[in-house]
Amino acid sequence: MTPTYPKWQTSMIDGVHKTTMEMFNKRQDVKWYEIGVFDEEWNPIPFVTSYKVIQLDYLNHVKFDVYITSNNKDKAEYICSLSKLRGNRNNKPMIASKICSRFK
Amino acid sequence: MNKLFTIALMLGLTGCSLFASKVEAGTNINGTVESRCTVNTDTSGYYGNPNAYTLTTLPASAGQVPVIRIDTSLANAYKAQISYPTSFSSSPSLGDTVVWTGTVAVDQTSSSDMSGYQAASTTADGGAMRIYPLSIAGATWFSVASVATYGGGQQKAFPGGSYTAVVIAECVAQ
Repeated sequence: MTPTYPKWQTSMIDGVHKTTMEMFNKRQDVKWYEIGVFDEEWNPIPFVTSYKVIQLDYLNHVKFDVYITSNNKDKAEYICSLSKLRGNRNNKPMIASKICSRFK
Repeated sequence: MNKLFTIALMLGLTGCSLFASKVEAGTNINGTVESRCTVNTDTSGYYGNPNAYTLTTLPASAGQVPVIRIDTSLANAYKAQISYPTSFSSSPSLGDTVVWTGTVAVDQTSSSDMSGYQAASTTADGGAMRIYPLSIAGATWFSVASVATYGGGQQKAFPGGSYTAVVIAECVAQ
């Protein structure tokens, strides 16, 4: 996820701020990532984006905008991507990855 | 004649200076370095079943320890948070308690300067999560051992079926 330290910008809608993020998939075993916005205590904060779960093939990039109400702008501390794991029937521990950028 | 020569000279000089500024503009190569973090599965782990009441990733018990690689391109921008499992993400119905233990350790590093990572790490979530400040740019491999014992100390046999647990590898901007 880039940038590491994103900034909110005013959007075309009154009372709504937006930021643009970019994601790169370096995991061959994962194709889906869920986006989340969290406060300092890791409580979820409401936000809007085109798709909360994004399909991203191995070694591909995607750019997406995240919108948030201006009241929540200062509460948002982290924006994260969480890998979505497909169920399997083998006795294998699977690895979930979470990468978070931080609003400073 | 002199006037014509002066005008020609002025035009020539202006042309030269325009030409020079064009060349200068064409030589600029701009770039920015953005700090980033990537997480890779280096080795997929799986549980061995050395006895009826234990599932373990230890190779001596026919398991395999999962290894995660985390890369950072800039120093002091991220911390890695790795957690061993404390529940199954899928399993048969379990009526008794599962006791979870595990360890998270630095397996390899791309630079010898990272040799202090394990000593500098801290724990959270009752010891299941280990936090590593990634103070040096490069790659770090983390191994995560996991043991699940069924029966709450009574050594009861796990019900037959498929068991999956999830190791969580996080890379969080500092």
